[in-house]
Amino acid sequence: MPATATSPLLQLEQLTSVRPGSQGQTIPVLEGLTCSFHQGSLTALIGPSGSGKSSLIRLINRLDDPLQGRILLEGLDIRELSPPLLRQRIGMMLQKTHLFEGTVLDNLQLPFSYRKKPLPGPDDPEVIRCLTLARLTPDFLQRDARTLSGGQQQRVSLARALISRPQALLLDEPTSALDRPATDSLGQTLQELCRSEQLAVILVTHDLRLAERISDQTIYLEAGRIVEAGRTAELFAQPQSEGLQKFLAEPEDERH
Amino acid sequence: MSDNALIHLDLLQLVYAYALILLSISLARFRQIGQERQMLWASLRMVVQLLAVGYLLQLVFTVRSPLLVILILLTMTGFSLQIIGSRIKQRMPGFYRIMGSSIIIGCGGVTFYFCLLVVGYTPWYDPRYLIPLAGMIIGNSMNGASLAAERLAAEMQQRHDELETALCLGATARQAAEPILRTAYKAALIPTINTMAATGIVALPGMMTGQILSGTAPMLAVRYQIAIMCAITAAVAITALLILLQGYRGYFTPADQLQRPHSSS
Repeated sequence: MPATATSPLLQLEQLTSVRPGSQGQTIPVLEGLTCSFHQGSLTALIGPSGSGKSSLIRLINRLDDPLQGRILLEGLDIRELSPPLLRQRIGMMLQKTHLFEGTVLDNLQLPFSYRKKPLPGPDDPEVIRCLTLARLTPDFLQRDARTLSGGQQQRVSLARALISRPQALLLDEPTSALDRPATDSLGQTLQELCRSEQLAVILVTHDLRLAERISDQTIYLEAGRIVEAGRTAELFAQPQSEGLQKFLAEPEDERH
Repeated sequence: MSDNALIHLDLLQLVYAYALILLSISLARFRQIGQERQMLWASLRMVVQLLAVGYLLQLVFTVRSPLLVILILLTMTGFSLQIIGSRIKQRMPGFYRIMGSSIIIGCGGVTFYFCLLVVGYTPWYDPRYLIPLAGMIIGNSMNGASLAAERLAAEMQQRHDELETALCLGATARQAAEPILRTAYKAALIPTINTMAATGIVALPGMMTGQILSGTAPMLAVRYQIAIMCAITAAVAITALLILLQGYRGYFTPADQLQRPHSSS
């Protein structure tokens, strides 16, 4: 159950953002968006392509900045934190996640080297903890990260995002390159992780089946605005807006 | 000795030499392999520029004004910038500012060090030494400078996902760009390092050959060549480093974010 009684980890207030167009004009991406996210709760962000889902989560760890509005992490404006520090507290898996050359262990050590901390070895409890959370076994550590399967690579990327002990995890289409069994398996991992680590997980996905299965909350975006938000079970069972009703009824391949 | 007779002889030799280029162009045209226009244009440019510079140097060597000599050096830098700029397709943000300042500091610093400390002639601005040495140092550094700039821009674009992944893992802009800086620096230095390694075995350097041909004792020519190669290497290394350390910043915001791509470079 989402911990709605406690104060939210993340509060997004009146976010407006734009992106530059090809002729130098600005194109609105998000228009006055307000919402909040709690620890221990998995929120799915759904909506048509170009509705602003990815743009929204990129604001949360400051890969981009909004034009207006602010984001509070435990009540503190995220612009008060140094971006590297913020990004350690808010982990993110990009849609085109990149595994660096070298072994899985090399990849897990990276965040430590960025912080100029001593690098953990293969027996380090923190390394083992993150591998286990991502449902990988220790024998993966010495394998060449780039020769792993798509699903395994996503898990390495997940373990790497967890190694900084973040409070929130942002995921941009983590299953878009995975087949159904791998998607379901990763989805289950995310769900368990969210509970056991009390993470605020925010999942951008086109996969409505996945969103319905694993998320506690769902936010439906359309043209940079929140059209509908609430408990996933209720939202999927009884969509209120015409937009969401239509969106849920569309065949999967047309939604992409 | 009559100047006219010498010039006449030189011209004939030049015609013979240029015939080599015409031969290459004919071959290229015959085999339809391309580059004729480029060879023709570049070679004509080379001839006109060198002749012009020859007359100019005769004039300049009589100059006794440090200000004028500096002005000439800056003009040379300007032309090198124009050439680098026209050769490079992808340019980093602030291209001319960064390239200009890096060449002035890198090549200029090395040139003055070399002239004052290594060759040690007086007065320091004596155009007879300063201008050819500066020319050689800038000319040889241009290749390294454009390689650094080109590689930086290309890698920054190609490795966008890698950069953003590193930022997501808590890297600063500098840390995220580090692998790219290393790649670009390596690319910039490889020709110079290869030249140093091959010198004397694979090829005799042009300056040394020229000195020997004009009557300098081989060992003296060799010493000059060693000195100038050290200067060129340092100039390439320092210029490339300055370009990269200034250049990568333009791809990031102060908040360790990647700049949004703009339609114009």
